[in-house]
Amino acid sequence: MLSQPDIAALLITLKLAATTTLILLLLGTPLAWWLATTRSKARSAIEAVIALPLVLPPTVLGFYLLLAFSPDGPIGATTAALGLPSMAFSFWGLVLGSAIYSLPFVVQPLQNSFAGLGRMPLEIAATLGAGPIDRFISVVLPLSKMGYLTAAVLGFAHTLGEFGVVLMIGGNIPGETQVLSIAIYDHVEALEYSQAHWLAAGLLLCSFLVLLIIYSANRRFHLMKTT
Amino acid sequence: MIKAALQLRKSDFKLEASFSVPGRGVTAVFGPSGCGKTTLLRAIAGLEPDTTGSLSVNAEQWLGVDGSRAVEQRRVAVVFQNPSLFPHLTVQENLLYGRKRLSKVTKPIETKELIASLEIEELLLRYPEGLSGGEKQRVALGRALLAEPKLLLMDEPLSALDQGSREKLMSLLERFLQEIDIPVFYVTHSSEEVARLADNLVLLANGAVSDHGAIEDVLGAVDGELSRSDAAFSVIEGQIATTQLPGLISVDCGQGIVLQLPDSTSVSGNRYQPGNAVRLRIRARDVSLCLEAPQRSSILNILPAVIAELAAKPHNGSRIVKLDIAGKQLLSKISEYSVQQLELRAGQPVFAQIKSAALI
Repeated sequence: MLSQPDIAALLITLKLAATTTLILLLLGTPLAWWLATTRSKARSAIEAVIALPLVLPPTVLGFYLLLAFSPDGPIGATTAALGLPSMAFSFWGLVLGSAIYSLPFVVQPLQNSFAGLGRMPLEIAATLGAGPIDRFISVVLPLSKMGYLTAAVLGFAHTLGEFGVVLMIGGNIPGETQVLSIAIYDHVEALEYSQAHWLAAGLLLCSFLVLLIIYSANRRFHLMKTT
Repeated sequence: MIKAALQLRKSDFKLEASFSVPGRGVTAVFGPSGCGKTTLLRAIAGLEPDTTGSLSVNAEQWLGVDGSRAVEQRRVAVVFQNPSLFPHLTVQENLLYGRKRLSKVTKPIETKELIASLEIEELLLRYPEGLSGGEKQRVALGRALLAEPKLLLMDEPLSALDQGSREKLMSLLERFLQEIDIPVFYVTHSSEEVARLADNLVLLANGAVSDHGAIEDVLGAVDGELSRSDAAFSVIEGQIATTQLPGLISVDCGQGIVLQLPDSTSVSGNRYQPGNAVRLRIRARDVSLCLEAPQRSSILNILPAVIAELAAKPHNGSRIVKLDIAGKQLLSKISEYSVQQLELRAGQPVFAQIKSAALI
């Protein structure tokens, strides 16, 4: 069964994934909205930057973050100047790393969802007297429910499975920065296969369940639309 | 008054529209496909942010030196070609979307009455998904009216509908647009819709206004853009006569003019009860001229007339002739050859043969 450090790793993982997802939904909304509606030439460049974590080895991202967190790096220097503890090997360092790493998984579904709305519903809302924020709340949000569900689930699930970035910037401090994927790695290293199984199978099942939720919600949504 | 001088450049299209029309009644924006009607409507609504120039609607400046008033501040409701109800809201929530956002309800449009006359009471709790095209468009019209707009814009609201729903909505519009005290801009390429609904006309061609004014002035301008086109037509008002000939509908246009039309209307119903006011649309190309009264003709309507005016010059081999029939004006499009052969000139008495007229 699960040992004390394993349970701690599970809780940290869940907390990390939930925090990261929440932050990404908040920051991803204006970013995705801008990408879906802008006519700016900078759009392609920004889209490419956001998509980088999809192709980049996580260790590359982790390496540069680690450099940035060091006392001479831009983030490390800033936190030091503000009298805050270093981000390296801390939970909030992990949140930052995960947020960058999972960014495309949240931004892209939102962007697709916003772009799919078309301009018509918003224009009509405007002619009926709704201002920009009113339009977003009364028209965009309810019509983008599926996009938000997909973004949240993908962001959450992707953060659950993170390994390379965490290893580079979080280290492996049990009860603090040790997440599930690293705990599994440790068990395998120590030849504790049965404990590795518990965690690995749990993660597998969990990932399957969240994906099942999206796809069945998606199906229900489509069925609802066509009836 | 509604005064506009609008410029807008889109990749391969330029809109330059200047006109002024009365601040009440229905103004039809008429022209062939691709002439910029929809773009003009969007510019008036404020949905084209690159529009420059000036626009004032009944003394309110919507666009001018002080900048552009935001769409949501203009109180301009739009009914688009494709009824775009909010899919996540019920019919009732759709209807009230604009009204809820009014700072105060100024005109006493009775929600209940409006819903009843649009015949959508049964639909209130349903979602737009399952509604027919005609039902959706009626809800969209109700939603626009309940927002108490200062200007109502309609972009070919009938063109996406089937014949039956179109006729039904048309009759509703005829009644509504005259009753409401809101100026309406109505974009269409159908001369029938113009003839039935419009008080004023703005003619568009290639992004520019070629003529504008009261409908009878624009339609009656023999040298105007519309008269030169194939679509030239006249509108004569009358009422269904009390005595009818078998198989015919008689329309009394006053001054002793009675026009006969074949009773082929499957849609007749209550509209064609004796005494009902109707409008007739008569295409200029369906009116020919004779110097003497023809005998034993198959043409039902032959009326004595006086030539009021001839177009200054022929266009594509034809000439537009404006006739005066007991004070009513009627356009006739005949070949330039006939004009020369018959030596037609202003002031000359002739007989107008009306080959067909549409009861609209």
